[in-house]
Amino acid sequence: MKSESKIDPKILEEILKFSRNVMDAPKLVSAPDEINMEVTPHDIVQEIDKTRLLHYRSLTEKQHKTPLLISYALINRYHILDIQPEKSWVRNLLLQGFDVYMLDWGSPTSMDKYLDFDDYVNGYLDSSVEFIKNESSSEKISLQGYCTGATIATAYITLHPESVKNYVATAPVIDGWRDTTVISNLAKHMDVDKMVEIIGNMPPEFMYYCFSVLKPFEQGIEKYVNFFKNIENKKFVDSFLRVEKWLGDTPPIPGELFKQWIKDIYQDNLLIQNKMFVGGSHIDLKKITMPIFTQVAVGDHLVSPECSMPLHYAVGSEDKTLRMYPTGHVGMIASSLSQTKVLPELGKWLAERS
Amino acid sequence: MEPQPVKDSSDYYKHLSLFWTDIIHLMSSKPQALASVGPMRAFASNAKKISTELIEINESLMGFNQFVTEYYKQLAETWNVAQKKVNLKVPDVPHDVEQMDSFKRIWIDIFDNDFTELFDSVKFGENYGKLVSKELELTKHWNNISNVILQSANLPSKEEIDEVYKELHSLKKRVTKLEIELKKVNKK
Repeated sequence: MKSESKIDPKILEEILKFSRNVMDAPKLVSAPDEINMEVTPHDIVQEIDKTRLLHYRSLTEKQHKTPLLISYALINRYHILDIQPEKSWVRNLLLQGFDVYMLDWGSPTSMDKYLDFDDYVNGYLDSSVEFIKNESSSEKISLQGYCTGATIATAYITLHPESVKNYVATAPVIDGWRDTTVISNLAKHMDVDKMVEIIGNMPPEFMYYCFSVLKPFEQGIEKYVNFFKNIENKKFVDSFLRVEKWLGDTPPIPGELFKQWIKDIYQDNLLIQNKMFVGGSHIDLKKITMPIFTQVAVGDHLVSPECSMPLHYAVGSEDKTLRMYPTGHVGMIASSLSQTKVLPELGKWLAERS
Repeated sequence: MEPQPVKDSSDYYKHLSLFWTDIIHLMSSKPQALASVGPMRAFASNAKKISTELIEINESLMGFNQFVTEYYKQLAETWNVAQKKVNLKVPDVPHDVEQMDSFKRIWIDIFDNDFTELFDSVKFGENYGKLVSKELELTKHWNNISNVILQSANLPSKEEIDEVYKELHSLKKRVTKLEIELKKVNKK
């Protein structure tokens, strides 16, 4: 009896090729642990507890007067902003003549479970800003906040407006009730008091779970199939492994800080309603009057545009700009689009005010 | 003294276990006190706490099982619905590489959409929140049992270490404030 269906021999060829690539992979590429994530040369100019202030070495003869401090997110580490030379956010800004500093929040341990918003805003971030002001003899600096780092930076600029000349909010977490992402759905139903009381810090495993429910089949299957298919493409593999290593490096979030963040932003939505307090001081977004540049990614599935955009409308600034880009949360800061579109626009805006 | 009325079988089971644990503890505490000193004495006198925790773990475990069953039920139902959608859209088995690629694309798109819809839903969020909550309760019982063992070895419990962390945090804050004040005075 003849079978009517025929399978294209190319399918078998593809399967064999794929199997060969999987077998050859260890010979062709480095293990993620062997990859050095520090790309652009920098000096560690200040260390407080586990936080470090990084100062990137200049790449141009002339520099803009006002230094720029980047307040990175609480999730994962700052390396994504300097992931590889051709996609580095930091390097691009250095080449545009900016004096760039980065605040690395470090990896908190159980001992840090009582660190709260006040410690991050009025402690670590303020100490970094004061250090840069002294070091650069500037009265004010430019501040950029990314993701949850922008939530902290936004609270900071309302309490210390005298220290900040320009503010750049990149995918800021602002209006938790409008956030339409899976993360916000999980955050809204979480008993965060119980988690902090029993576990202490927000454990990285919880963050890995949150990542795993974001496009689980594309990210959990297709991504790795593509990796093995392209195992001989050195550029692709290098970029893939760097991002993967960054994704796997998730420090815990101090318990008290995590509790306030989940409650005040996602559950009670206090920040956008001007009802949030940090260290006993009222956070009133209308008090933000410095020039502000808000960057939003249309395809952001970690911080939805609806969550970020309200900042633009809530602040009291007259000089304010909102830009939307056809990319995702990471694509906005570490992609060819960020190099050709996002960073040139930001650089132009910042240069005119620095 | 009459026992308190029990609400259901789980309460009765709890009462029964506690009754015998208490009686055995009372009956054995005197000979234990005479026969043992040091860590074993401390462990014996705290052993009742372990029994109580183990009884309560069962209650938390029942709740955990309920929510974890619902969790996997939601995943399985979503999987089945997504697979049916794929079958409707691609009724034939792919025969060449191009067909295989487009089948894979359709499969991933449908599954990602359906699962994202599930993860975005209130029913998933609520159940997941309760599941995590029950898991935390189990962790708490485990912490309490570990504390009994730590105390029997004269080591600080989690709560005692937490007190030290809290005190350290508060001291650090006070020192930072004092340093800022000192800087201001020095500037003047």
